[in-house]
Amino acid sequence: MNRKYKVQGSGFKIPAYIFLLLTMHCLQFAAADAKVYIDITSPAVRKLPIAIYDFDGPAGQEISETIRNDLTFTGLFMYIDKASYIEAFSQPFNPKNWTPLGIEAVVKGSSLGEKDLTVTVTLYDTFDGKEILKKQYQTGKELVRQLSHSIANDIYKALTGMHGVFRTKIAFVAEDEREKSIYIMDWDGHRIKKLGLKGTLVLTPHWSPDGTKIIYSSERGRQWGIFLLDFLKMTEKRIFTSRGTNMAGDFFPRGDSFVFSSTKDGTPDLYIFDMGDNKSKKLTSSYGIEVSPAVSPDGSRIAFVSDRGGSPQIYLMRSDGSDVRRVSFEGSYNTSPSWSPNGDRIVFSCRRGKNQICVVKPDGTELFQLTEYGNNEDPSFSPDGRYITFSSDRDGIKGIYIMRANGEAQKKITPRGLKAFGPRWSPN
Amino acid sequence: MKKYWVFLALVLIVAFGCKQRVVTQPEGQQPGQQQQEMKAAEKIQEQKVASVAPEDVSGKYLETSGMFEDILFDFDKYDIKPQYKTVLQSVSSWMTKNSSPKLSVEGHCDDRGTNEYNLALGDRRAKAVKDYLLSLGVPSARIDTISYGEEKPLCTDQNEECWSKNRRAHFVVLNKGK
Repeated sequence: MNRKYKVQGSGFKIPAYIFLLLTMHCLQFAAADAKVYIDITSPAVRKLPIAIYDFDGPAGQEISETIRNDLTFTGLFMYIDKASYIEAFSQPFNPKNWTPLGIEAVVKGSSLGEKDLTVTVTLYDTFDGKEILKKQYQTGKELVRQLSHSIANDIYKALTGMHGVFRTKIAFVAEDEREKSIYIMDWDGHRIKKLGLKGTLVLTPHWSPDGTKIIYSSERGRQWGIFLLDFLKMTEKRIFTSRGTNMAGDFFPRGDSFVFSSTKDGTPDLYIFDMGDNKSKKLTSSYGIEVSPAVSPDGSRIAFVSDRGGSPQIYLMRSDGSDVRRVSFEGSYNTSPSWSPNGDRIVFSCRRGKNQICVVKPDGTELFQLTEYGNNEDPSFSPDGRYITFSSDRDGIKGIYIMRANGEAQKKITPRGLKAFGPRWSPN
Repeated sequence: MKKYWVFLALVLIVAFGCKQRVVTQPEGQQPGQQQQEMKAAEKIQEQKVASVAPEDVSGKYLETSGMFEDILFDFDKYDIKPQYKTVLQSVSSWMTKNSSPKLSVEGHCDDRGTNEYNLALGDRRAKAVKDYLLSLGVPSARIDTISYGEEKPLCTDQNEECWSKNRRAHFVVLNKGK
């Protein structure tokens, strides 16, 4: 009896004492980690004040401007204008020139060469007074924007510990002289390139998981076929066609199969197409419309649009077609679902008078509306899940926009005259 | 005995309890080192994207449009309204009198809503018209359907008058011979 009491007593005291030790042990552990300047997982992020000089040498200003735009759009950095720098570019870095201004990181760089550029970049921590990144980059002059984006990625990585998306691309559809075609551009709207797939009707392209291919639907000769464009081989191949309407679709994570919508057996239903044996397998059978399938990042589930309840709504099922349940309940028109890269959110187009962009958890909770003006459609996440691209007609003509995943910093990235829609952010 | 369990639990917490931060060490950084060694320069490259010429799949029929009135639909609906039944009867009797041409029924939508959903909706509209013609005795093999969704609007203003014209099933007569 006595003994039992003692055990209970010590069982209470010892953990309390050890817990204290544990806490200290954890603190030590954290201190041994690399310094994290911005914890982007924290809900209330303080913007890090950063100074970025105009780089010395050819294309220096363009490089600096690109880096500033990249870092500023993240919402994690506050660019401090170069007019307030005390330290001249040529002077050696001295933390005492920066800490009084509240500036915590400084980027200096210079470029050399004419046709081929060699750019040297140094990133300083003003509190510890040391270099935290020093690196050289080489490229041809025509790739100066990609070079600048690579520098921005390295700075972002050094300060946040995460991979930046500044080298990613967005594929979309645009109309030029009443012809639709697939286009590709950098994530910031620069370097728009029209792929020569014109003279046809084209729907939203979808990237393969490795970013080397896209699939899309196109109408040719009164038939909707599904086409695959391979960027490495630069070939286009028709991979599926039948009578009726065929709409691609979304790849499974392994990249060897995709889900698509087809009316080949009557009403629009969902099918899996296996690119190994070129066979399709039916997933849904309903009297209504089933379109716009989106495969979850782990490949286990498919979000899609169905009007089986009387109006188009977002549904979820397992990848074998079982366990169908409804995700969206608010509003009478919810379409175009797309997953966040870690599978914790589905972004979609929700009608609230006009079409807006909404996000929701896959279990249907935590619904948020992210846009307010015009018609907004076709949302898709950036590979790091921090941004969303979508189309909007808020300024009169449909164009491609990007914003942070919480709806902040919405901006149009396609030129004013170009009617553009159906954007998809590349996976890498 | 219970004491041992508590102890074991504590050992486990000490070993795995601290949440590891997934932060990678900035490249080349050594603790306490002020100046960094410069590594070999990173070469910036990019996959070239050339233009692709699509395969030629032009239709093999001569197309005649405008012989029959369009069938109009309500927003997000694909049921045929009673007032269009006389139009469909005249289509059916023309098809009976002219036995060689085929008929393509195009389903269209207004541009409110998503392209993909509208393509599916246009498909349902075209099929609803085809089903009605089948019920009037036109053989299935003579009717093709195609959906254009919101991709080929008749009218591009943003008002109901224009939208209602776009929510249509349109007839195209196909004659062999191209």
